[in-house]
Amino acid sequence: MTDDRESILSRVRGALAPLHERAPLPTYDSEIAVLRGLLAGRDLAELLAERMRRVNGLALTSPAAVVAHLRAGGHRHGYCDPALWPDLAPHFADGFTVETSFDRTRVDDYAFGITRAAGAIAESGTIILHDRTTASRLAALAPWVHIAVVSRADIFGDVTQAVAALGDDRNVVWCTGPSKTADVEGILIEGVHGPGEQLALIVP
Amino acid sequence: MLNRERTPLTGRRVQLMATCLCDAFYDDVAAATVEVLEHAGVEVAFPEGQTCCGQPAFNGGDWPASRRVVRHTVRTFAGEDPVVVPSGSCAAMLFHGAVLEFEKEPDAPAVEALGRRTWELADYLVNGLGVRTWPGRYPARVAFHRSCHSRGTDSVAAALTLLRSIAGLEVVEFGEAEQCCGFGGTFAVTFPHLSGAMGQLKLDHVRAAQPDVYVSGDMSCMMHLGGLAAREGRPIRTLHLAQVLRDALRGGEAKS
Amino acid sequence: MSAQAIDRFAATLPAETRASVYQSTKTTHEKRTRLLFDQFPDPDRLRTLAGEIKQHAIENLDTYLPQAEARLRANGAQVHWAGTAEAACAHVLRIMRERGATKMVKAKTMVSEEIELADYLGRHGMEALETDLGEFIIQIDHDHPSHIVRPIIHKNRREIATSFEREGLGAYNDDPATITRRARHHLRHKYLAADVGLTGANFLSAESGRIALVTNEGNSRFSVAATRCHIVLVGIEKIVPRDRDLGILLNLLGRSATAQDLTVYTEFISGPRDPAQPDGPEEMHVIFVDNGRTEVLAGECREILRCIRCGACLNVCPIYRQASGHAYRSVYPGPVGAVLSPLLLKENFPQKADLPKASSLCGACHEVCPVNIPIPDLLLRLRARAKEENVPSPGTPPMAPWALLASQPTAWRAALVAGRALNVLPTRLIPVPALQAWTASRELPAWRGGEFRRWLKARRRPAPPAAR
Repeated sequence: MTDDRESILSRVRGALAPLHERAPLPTYDSEIAVLRGLLAGRDLAELLAERMRRVNGLALTSPAAVVAHLRAGGHRHGYCDPALWPDLAPHFADGFTVETSFDRTRVDDYAFGITRAAGAIAESGTIILHDRTTASRLAALAPWVHIAVVSRADIFGDVTQAVAALGDDRNVVWCTGPSKTADVEGILIEGVHGPGEQLALIVP
Repeated sequence: MLNRERTPLTGRRVQLMATCLCDAFYDDVAAATVEVLEHAGVEVAFPEGQTCCGQPAFNGGDWPASRRVVRHTVRTFAGEDPVVVPSGSCAAMLFHGAVLEFEKEPDAPAVEALGRRTWELADYLVNGLGVRTWPGRYPARVAFHRSCHSRGTDSVAAALTLLRSIAGLEVVEFGEAEQCCGFGGTFAVTFPHLSGAMGQLKLDHVRAAQPDVYVSGDMSCMMHLGGLAAREGRPIRTLHLAQVLRDALRGGEAKS
Repeated sequence: MSAQAIDRFAATLPAETRASVYQSTKTTHEKRTRLLFDQFPDPDRLRTLAGEIKQHAIENLDTYLPQAEARLRANGAQVHWAGTAEAACAHVLRIMRERGATKMVKAKTMVSEEIELADYLGRHGMEALETDLGEFIIQIDHDHPSHIVRPIIHKNRREIATSFEREGLGAYNDDPATITRRARHHLRHKYLAADVGLTGANFLSAESGRIALVTNEGNSRFSVAATRCHIVLVGIEKIVPRDRDLGILLNLLGRSATAQDLTVYTEFISGPRDPAQPDGPEEMHVIFVDNGRTEVLAGECREILRCIRCGACLNVCPIYRQASGHAYRSVYPGPVGAVLSPLLLKENFPQKADLPKASSLCGACHEVCPVNIPIPDLLLRLRARAKEENVPSPGTPPMAPWALLASQPTAWRAALVAGRALNVLPTRLIPVPALQAWTASRELPAWRGGEFRRWLKARRRPAPPAAR
């Protein structure tokens, strides 16, 4: 098996050699891509909730509201990050089965998954997941309902700030609303491979 | 594009490039252009040796043939006086297309110099001379055709400024106005189905707006659309902007 | 028949297909325009900036490719280089064999279509399953995608329902929600049983070695949550200098492709999973694919390498809207495809030299392009190349005689007068193909050659008008 590294790089150098000058890296203020008018004077948690609604997501501010939402949807069996469960357990009364480990052989058993978010982006209504804070990638993805627990202090205003704070996590996922497709005749259908419902539980 | 790098106008003398289409088919458009420019206080010279801007061969990929014509055009429109052309398409050929095909030619500077002093008619009147209102009267509902070679130029806004200022004239909007009519030069004959389908779509939108007259700054689009409409037995009345401006001075719609 | 291949294809496209392609492209284009102009005071500044960033990146690939490679290696990923489609496919096969893998789940990646990876793996005894809903349907139908972002834009729900029934995915039901639900159920078990997940990359940051990957369905997330080995195919032109540049480009990509502020899932992946994470790949392989890109870089159309595959130029293109994607006989259809597809063929350019002709040069594609690629200029350059290489072009009138005439004023004026014959001769008897093609569907206006010049002379004879 030969690797084409040297031949590709040599073709690249050959292609670029005749250029009298190369296009410079533009200097710019990332502010150009920020929806400043939207953000001005807004409480970020409120704006996040508003922008999540716009993409068919839902932001809630109390565990009781989350439980009520799950009950109303008939979602009684789910997963919860073991680190979150002690605080949340008291809100889940009878009739719920919540596991703190995710068994991939029973993927269809879990109707909801509760995991920690690393942050959120108010501007776009986005939840940020990191590998280090997500107890299980599958639990945050496979169940119909995903509930991301977001600390108020971790909400970024805009996409530009969130990019600047990507950090060194190997797998950062921005979730902006539920999984969706418009492949069939352009009709919007939610819940293709990932969650059909994307919730945020905003905590202090 | 070089239409963004023009030197400010000083005099009021221009060279008219009538365009090959007006030379062959639309003499009244060229005549109207002369009258409109003269009304604006401009002295119009007409270099007799002029033929075509070179665009057909340029678009067809025969750049050596096109360059031959462009070189002739550069020689014909010598001097410093601006060149005014009643076509956004021919203007764009000179301030953009010709520059592209002369990139590696030794005489590129002469081609660029011509491009810098070439103006589409409405752009010249409004942005060159500062004309903001047009006198006279033209009682009609006008649909204005935004020809594609005016994209990225100030020509459409200029034409609309003039039209909207004319007493009695109402500019009517129509659907998908930014879409191409399907002319496209040789495209019209090498892709006849697509060209016709695009034209039909344009005609449907324009007819739905029920204008009295369909006006453009480019006769090429009008030749295609008017020809399609006439063939299906439902002709539409097409005019060049210059004809409307001239007829407004005469108080209304002319014979055409 | 003087019409070109794409025109003939368009003429035979079923009316229903044309109508649905037209409607969905028009709707997406209009939503995109509204969104951008509602949100930004000057979207063109953003497009220009994004174009400058990408142009800088491709003109400095000699710096950025090794930089990205070093970062990826430091992050624990393995990097491979593939000069050709065959080499890229062979890398994937080797990685799978070395792991004893037989089953791959594939997210949607244009470069995998370009190198025909799924067919290659199939021929070598591997299962490579498409997981994007549209691509999955393409795969079970042995069809080809017809749009960069909406691969089955040419299919209707009844055709899809029939395919699902045939494949044993339930009784006939053409409700889009039911179709989607069935695919969800079917595919999630495939992810969990797969050995390898393959994705593309929308961007690769040289600074961090991070790939950025966007999907709406979440299939790429599932591929890298369920499998133990992640293979990334990335065209070498996907590099951007820094992470901060991703902010600009991601803001434009979702809006341009589907009129979303951001695509639902934006994944930033810079290596195998975190040691504390139970799910996902312990191995990550990134394959840098050339396959003709360095030749494009060396040529005069290198701006096309800025392309971020958003499909906005397809959606606005009047030709694409009428002809649909299969007319272009290429993985990349529409205006961007008309430039890129013939170029990627290298010395076989003449096979697709007709694609750049399929344009009225209206410029709408340039106007919407999020990286400001002057597509019409590139189409023109390729037309000139086709002419230089003497590629036949059906129906195109010969230009040399015309140029001769148009550079000799005396002959030109004589021809203007002689043209009056057109007013008396029946045009159908004049054996000029261009004239025939014109008059097949349009009237020709009356020939009035020389009239303007005569008018001007007569008017000026008494006293030339003085400037006011």
